[in-house]
Amino acid sequence: MSLTATTPARNAAPPQRRGAPRRSRFGFHARMMAPGILLLAVLSLIPLFTVIAMSVSQVRLLGGVSFGFVGAENWARFLTDVDLALQWVRTLVFFVLTVGLEMLLGVGLALCLWKLLRGRNAVLGLLLLPMFVAPVIVGLLGRFLTDSTFGLYHWLLGLAGFEGDLLGGTYSAFAAVVLMDVWQWTPLITLIALAGLTSVPQSIREAAALDGASGWQALRSIILPSISGVLLVALLIRAMDAIRYFDIIAVTTNGGPADATKVVPIRLYETAFRFFDLGYAAVIGLVMLAVTVAIARAFVGILESKGLTR
Amino acid sequence: MTTTTTMPIDRSPRRVRAGVAVLLAVALLWTLVPLVWMALSSFKSDTDVTSAEPTFVFEPTLENYASLFSGANNLGPYILHSVLAAGISSVLATVLGALAGYGLAGSRMRGKKHVAFWIISTRMAPIAVVVLPLFLLFRGAGLIDSIPGLILAYLTFNLPFAIWLMSAFFSQVPPALEESALVAGCTRWQAFRHVVLPLTKSGLVTTFVLCLVFSWNDYAFALVFSGPHSQTLPMAADQLVTQTGIDWGQLTAIGTIVVLPMLVAGLAVRRWLVTGLTLGAVTGE
Repeated sequence: MSLTATTPARNAAPPQRRGAPRRSRFGFHARMMAPGILLLAVLSLIPLFTVIAMSVSQVRLLGGVSFGFVGAENWARFLTDVDLALQWVRTLVFFVLTVGLEMLLGVGLALCLWKLLRGRNAVLGLLLLPMFVAPVIVGLLGRFLTDSTFGLYHWLLGLAGFEGDLLGGTYSAFAAVVLMDVWQWTPLITLIALAGLTSVPQSIREAAALDGASGWQALRSIILPSISGVLLVALLIRAMDAIRYFDIIAVTTNGGPADATKVVPIRLYETAFRFFDLGYAAVIGLVMLAVTVAIARAFVGILESKGLTR
Repeated sequence: MTTTTTMPIDRSPRRVRAGVAVLLAVALLWTLVPLVWMALSSFKSDTDVTSAEPTFVFEPTLENYASLFSGANNLGPYILHSVLAAGISSVLATVLGALAGYGLAGSRMRGKKHVAFWIISTRMAPIAVVVLPLFLLFRGAGLIDSIPGLILAYLTFNLPFAIWLMSAFFSQVPPALEESALVAGCTRWQAFRHVVLPLTKSGLVTTFVLCLVFSWNDYAFALVFSGPHSQTLPMAADQLVTQTGIDWGQLTAIGTIVVLPMLVAGLAVRRWLVTGLTLGAVTGE
């Protein structure tokens, strides 16, 4: 089809076209890349230099933006900021809990779907829906469902004997935002793990069955190892996203109660846009960026060591 | 296609199959109850929405939707802003991403690895970190509270995503096809436009849809950059949350309006979702 579309072009093209092409200093590929890459450079490098400049300045907003150079003052403050260290620990706990649960549930569900012969696509389609829901709506919906006077889930928990304001308690609020993230992103792990499972060669599984491996043995020593590559990809993508996202927490608890859910991105927004301490916020941001870049490095490393990338 | 590879599973004992069915049923409930409850609540009257005992049987009403499109807080402009900001930024990202992704996939330049790494780092940069400098730059350039400002802001994550993903799709196209088009006398552009590009149509659609979902759902940028002239739909939902209380009937109606088009768009590209959401690291089915 697509080849026939080119026949007029073949007739029209003068024969000397390929023999003596107009020599450009840059090849065709470079010229194709140029618009996108240049725009991306503008969109990423200018902000990067700006945020670095901000991190060594006191930024004033009144009467036009102005930078007052303060040297390493913001960075020195960073080194002694116990609150921030705590918020990093909280971010790490949040990450471990959400991603841990998502991996467990996601792989479990993928195995279930894998065993499901009829209706697999329909069930998978329904399970994927939360990924497309705006995180703000996930957060607000979470508040709606856990509201202590009319929330559906609050009512259900009441039937089970649990009373109290879910988003009001420190532990229950943290658990609630973790579960909202789990609700939204478990499907991603399911999707990736299922893609890994369906590409496990049948011959391998048959060999295991012939060797008399029980279902559990086959799962542990054959199936899971053969999808470990894609699971690692899933883990790294969730890791980068877990540092990116803050919408759910912002609209549910906004860091509270008593800082129980104050993760680093929330702290950054608060520092920048409530206290307008933009210089210090830039320091917090650059550290977040460094962590993300380190994870991205690992991600690309896996891609390059091919074999995993089917 | 996949059913042939899963044939042996049929031999699973009955209790395994029963267990699988139960687990999937629980997972479906956990997944769907919030969404169904939101949609149901949007058709309830105020008293039904906030009754202490959940109401499962109720007289459906459109009053929540009606009040969203009348009076002071008309949702129309919000929808327009969302469509413009998310739509234009996604189209730009997909077009530029297709060109640059093609270039990146075919390029043999030195330092290509570093360019690729820079692109993915840009995509994964925490939004909070990007918001900070853009806030200052946009103030200087008068881009706060404007649709072009939001489009640029969304390009910061959509453009690197589109370049990277399109590059993954282009590298799946066998180079022999392009070569034979060149041998047949096509120019490089013609070979790209009429041979390579049509083969990545699904990639283009997937890239566009995912860009659309990311920017349509954005809250972090809109929170800082949008104002009365550029509020997007997620901000409309956010603004219903006030000190004096929340109109949950209207909020669930907005939620339904925000969510429904993205569910449809997302499911439309389901076959390529694995590739899209893993940025080409895993290809499925």
